[in-house]
Amino acid sequence: MKTIVVERLRRTFGNFVAVDDVSFAVEQGEIFGFLGANGAGKTTTIRMIIGVLPPTAGDATVAGFSVAREPREVKRRVGYVSQRFSLYPDLTIRQNLSFFGGAYGVWGQQLEDRIEQVVHAVDLEGRLDDLTGELPGGIRQRVALGAALLHSPPIVLLDEPTAGVDPRSRRRFWDLIRTLAAAGTTVLVTTHHLDEAEHCARVGLMVDGRLVALDTPDGLARTWVPGRMFRVDGVAVHRALASLRARPEVIDVEPFGAALHVRTHDAIDEARVRSWLDPAAAVSRVVEIRPSLEDVFLAVAARGAA
Amino acid sequence: MRRVLAMSRKEVLHVRRDPTMTWLAIGMPVLLVLIFGFGVRFDLDHLPVAWVDLDGTRGSDALREELFVSGELVLAKVCPEVECAERAMRSNRAVAAFVVPPGAAADRERGEPVTLQLLVDGTDGTVANAALANAEALTTAASIAHDRRPPRSLVRTVIRYNPRGESAMFLLPGTIAYVLALVSVLLTALAIAREWERGSMEQLFSTTVGGLEIVLGKLLPYLLLGMFDVLLVLAVGASVFALPFRGSLPLVGLASILFLVGMLGQGLLVSIVTRSQMLATQLGAVSAVLPSLLLSGFLFPVENLPWPLYWLSMIVPARFHVGLLRGALLKGSGWGDHWLDLVGLAAYAALTVGASAAAFRRRVA
Repeated sequence: MKTIVVERLRRTFGNFVAVDDVSFAVEQGEIFGFLGANGAGKTTTIRMIIGVLPPTAGDATVAGFSVAREPREVKRRVGYVSQRFSLYPDLTIRQNLSFFGGAYGVWGQQLEDRIEQVVHAVDLEGRLDDLTGELPGGIRQRVALGAALLHSPPIVLLDEPTAGVDPRSRRRFWDLIRTLAAAGTTVLVTTHHLDEAEHCARVGLMVDGRLVALDTPDGLARTWVPGRMFRVDGVAVHRALASLRARPEVIDVEPFGAALHVRTHDAIDEARVRSWLDPAAAVSRVVEIRPSLEDVFLAVAARGAA
Repeated sequence: MRRVLAMSRKEVLHVRRDPTMTWLAIGMPVLLVLIFGFGVRFDLDHLPVAWVDLDGTRGSDALREELFVSGELVLAKVCPEVECAERAMRSNRAVAAFVVPPGAAADRERGEPVTLQLLVDGTDGTVANAALANAEALTTAASIAHDRRPPRSLVRTVIRYNPRGESAMFLLPGTIAYVLALVSVLLTALAIAREWERGSMEQLFSTTVGGLEIVLGKLLPYLLLGMFDVLLVLAVGASVFALPFRGSLPLVGLASILFLVGMLGQGLLVSIVTRSQMLATQLGAVSAVLPSLLLSGFLFPVENLPWPLYWLSMIVPARFHVGLLRGALLKGSGWGDHWLDLVGLAAYAALTVGASAAAFRRRVA
């Protein structure tokens, strides 16, 4: 079942086209990732989907309600964690949660119960009376997620939720996101971290307000980075670099840490690659790998620039 | 309604957490009442005056004691010649000087008219007038006492409502309006602009709280705080300065609510337009606090304003409120005397709240 259906969504600010004819759909329980440079239109798209910003043209249907015509019904069913940390730093976690609960119309005993469940879900038990402004970034983002879950929304939108958060806290945050999705919550998330996008079932790539690519991470890699890719490990792989680049079967060679990423035509296999290598390179291993989303992102950006 | 209450409760938490807010809401009103009650005085007594005695007899000493006994003028210096008094005035130790001519005491003893010279420092017109008036009143009293005969007068003056002409009585009712303007405009300007600055306004819009609910939830606690300030100023005025309350409490209450709503609406409007705490406080100070101080009749009678400012004062809500408070507190005037002021206040409240609701709705989109 599709819980978010975006149809030909467009938003302009004066002469500037922030979002241009964007269409996509998200399945219930899916983790859908949005990738793109700053200013590519990700946040504007999200603001329209949560009913805060009316679209200039087109529409989005969220849990069956139109964002253009029934934004209030949409807001009831959506939890939102914004790019900027937007809880109140001078209030405690408990005070923040009970305020946002109240703002969503959750009240009394029901609110108490929800706060308890949410605090358990985002693993903040025992910290309820800490002042929010004094918390480290990773914990704050968990509070923000908790605040967005108080009204039990079936859909959660997260705009750069892990910006400025340390790697361990990021991993923990993604564990929470996967738990949510496994329980049936639809998650739409934007991120700068390409490794995080690998956690998404599908990824949309935005460039200059347009959605230029949309597929699973594997699908994106196949479409945007054709051929096969091999990782070559060895003590002195750099010695093999020039001769590999000279071969007509090789599309591209990039040094990648102590290894090389060698991209070739489809007919090539590990044994062929091994046979090309100079013994002086002291190669220990050749394995086929899938191109990363970073490779995809660079390929898409290169296409956009061309 | 629950969402409005959730908003208000959060606002109360902010105020309680922030010492600046507490100071603005409680410390400043008390301080302003004390400043305007004690510090700002248009009635000048205890003026320092020098005494130049060119007569130098026991009789002239007696005359000096007679004039200075009341304490309305204070003897700054006794001088043997005029130059010494001039020096005292130049160094601001005296604002005026009596000069007693030689032979004055002897003339007085014989019942002949005596003329004293009064030198006045005219630098500060208000002080000079006060010194002149006090000196005239005292010398008249002294000559009456001497002649034991009342002066013939065609006008008998009776001063009502503030018989001793104390400026505290004149200023304190207006202080209420000034305090309300200051506190309410600044507090709301800060409270709303802060949400824009922090980015939490966007988060609020993503919840099911409506624009009107945000506005009402924000205004409600500050309205209560403002009404508390009214009582606070009245209590301090009554206990420290014996400020009377001769009129109707419901009238003052209703007028204060209307005035507060107008000022809160204005604070809201400037913060929606500027979205910055600093700009909002400055714009609030210029558009609401200064007019409430200068164009309301609080310090200067509006009748004395040049005509463009006089007409401008017609749209300053503090003008209506100052007039109403002065009437209700000092003169005991009632609903019949002030219905027009109430209409003015209500119109202003409707205008600012309406304008800020419209501006808010546009900003959200």
